[in-house]
Amino acid sequence: MISDITFGQYYPSKSVLHRADSRAKLLLTFLMIVFLFICKNFLSLGVMVLVTVLAVIFSGVPFRMLLKSIKPVIVILIFTALLNIFYTKGGDVYFEFWRFSITEKGINNAVFTAIRIITLVVLSSLLTYTTTPTDLTTGLERLLSPLNHLHIRVHTLAMMMTLALRFIPTLIEETERIMNAQKARGADLETGSLIQRAKALIPIFVPLMVSSFRRAYELAFAMTCRCYTGGEGRTRMKQMKLSGRDFALLAICLAACAGVIVLNIFFNPVI
Amino acid sequence: MSFAIEVKNLTHLYSPGTPHQVTALKNINLQIEHGEILGIIGHTGSGKSTLISHFNGLLKPNEGCVLVDGVDIHTNKETLRNSRFKVGLCFQYPEYQLFEETVYKDIAFGPKNMKLSEEEIRNRVLRAAQYTGVSGEMLDKSPFDLSGGEKRRVAIAGVMAMEPQVLVFDEPAAGLDPAGRKALTDLIKDYHRSTGCTVIVVSHSMEDIAKLAKRLIVINDGQVAMDGTLSEVFSQSEKLTGMGLDVPEITKIFAEIRKRGFDVPPDVYSVEYAEQIILSMAGRRDAQ
Ligand SMILES: Nc1ncnc2c1ncn2[C@@H]1O[C@H](COP(=O)(O)OP(=O)(O)OP(=O)(O)O)[C@@H](O)[C@H]1O
Ligand SMILES: [Mg+2]
Repeated sequence: MISDITFGQYYPSKSVLHRADSRAKLLLTFLMIVFLFICKNFLSLGVMVLVTVLAVIFSGVPFRMLLKSIKPVIVILIFTALLNIFYTKGGDVYFEFWRFSITEKGINNAVFTAIRIITLVVLSSLLTYTTTPTDLTTGLERLLSPLNHLHIRVHTLAMMMTLALRFIPTLIEETERIMNAQKARGADLETGSLIQRAKALIPIFVPLMVSSFRRAYELAFAMTCRCYTGGEGRTRMKQMKLSGRDFALLAICLAACAGVIVLNIFFNPVI
Repeated sequence: MSFAIEVKNLTHLYSPGTPHQVTALKNINLQIEHGEILGIIGHTGSGKSTLISHFNGLLKPNEGCVLVDGVDIHTNKETLRNSRFKVGLCFQYPEYQLFEETVYKDIAFGPKNMKLSEEEIRNRVLRAAQYTGVSGEMLDKSPFDLSGGEKRRVAIAGVMAMEPQVLVFDEPAAGLDPAGRKALTDLIKDYHRSTGCTVIVVSHSMEDIAKLAKRLIVINDGQVAMDGTLSEVFSQSEKLTGMGLDVPEITKIFAEIRKRGFDVPPDVYSVEYAEQIILSMAGRRDAQ
């Protein structure tokens, strides 16, 4: 179904990254993001960028999909770049005007942060492009399972997340349906003052709440009927197993991290 | 003279320009006269709901146009808003649109949006409640305390209270018990008879449609496959079966009876009519 795919921006494909274990992907993405912030010069940053570019190529996710995920952060990108250019001082001065000056360090900082942010966004969206929401929550559940010893009910939390994700398209569809029904009765959602518009949402919000609760009860009932009792003693249909592919990924990432540390030590920091 | 609703070369695409593009309607042409009672049938996903959502401008055509009373509803905001009041749309499972504290207020929602006077609103609510069989004591209850069938009536009253020139029902009897179905078809028939407004009914039940409509439109894969009187459409039972549809059970029975050489009319679509014929045949035989 259409609405199933649109959420969680999963991009269906059978690439190496798609088939990799979701736990490995989660951990490695986290690791890579941490190391992105450990980078101190352009060389070490270059290593991270290289790994990210490789990941993009092997994920089979089209470039324009990635552009789509970068788009929302462009404003932040420009804003931080400007701040960096004007407020960091040091090194050669390229340009001076009244109280502002553009310096070598400022430019370096601006470019460095911009690359860092873009890489960050690309890495994290690659995770959601290559992993279905279900796999993602299952992976998260397994990774966090040690927390069970602290009496945190990881399974319950993960199940809640899975259900929430599952029902987002349903809710969107339902909202659309109710909106149409009320529009057919002359509800005016587009014009009027802010307060009027907020009030106009009541005829949509109330039925939506009612049907959400009804749906939640029905779902709980259906789950109980199928003997759902929570995570205890529950086995999985799809067993997660690390394969050679996952270890190869791990090796590449670890090598990149080692490279970052070495380059950080042997070359001067720019930031 | 203009038609109540006229559809010209209407094409509708869902999610155009994406890989998920669906052609829900293809080049539809329709003319619906004032005061007629029209049935729309078609297999699941054939585009019936999409078509009726065009009648009051909830959807915008990708090609072609929809005229209500001879005016293109997408001319400007005014005409669009007017079309909402001229054409009342009652969706599949309308009971999920209820939201007010009392049934009265909920029925009054439409008329209120029309900016009518308090008195006129009251009149309309009471009239609609009467048509739909919503009792006086029910009006003060919360709509969420009603049974499913009662909610359905309230929701229908909510659309009727706007007193539109054209009233469209999408699957009005879905999920009701036989008594509820019958009550609802009777209600629609009565409403049509006493107000004389145009009524359009979408249904999967050939029996209900045969009881209600005079003219029938068959939608198949987003196109108008047939358009004619009940007998014109139901006489082509093979074509209907090919489109995942059917003729009423009683019609099939009478077709068999005809095949066995009895002299019965070919256009038997309702049990009542069938009963009449059988009784008159029995009467004739007794007389002999
Ligand atoms: N919001 C939507 N987005 C995308 N496609 C849609 C949407 N709504 C309907 N469709 C598609 O358009 C086609 C026509 O749907 P429509 O709801 O009009 O059918 P219908 O004749 O009313 O079916 P039913 O008898 O099941 O109510 C179907 O193929 C459906 O999958
Ligand atoms: Mg429908």
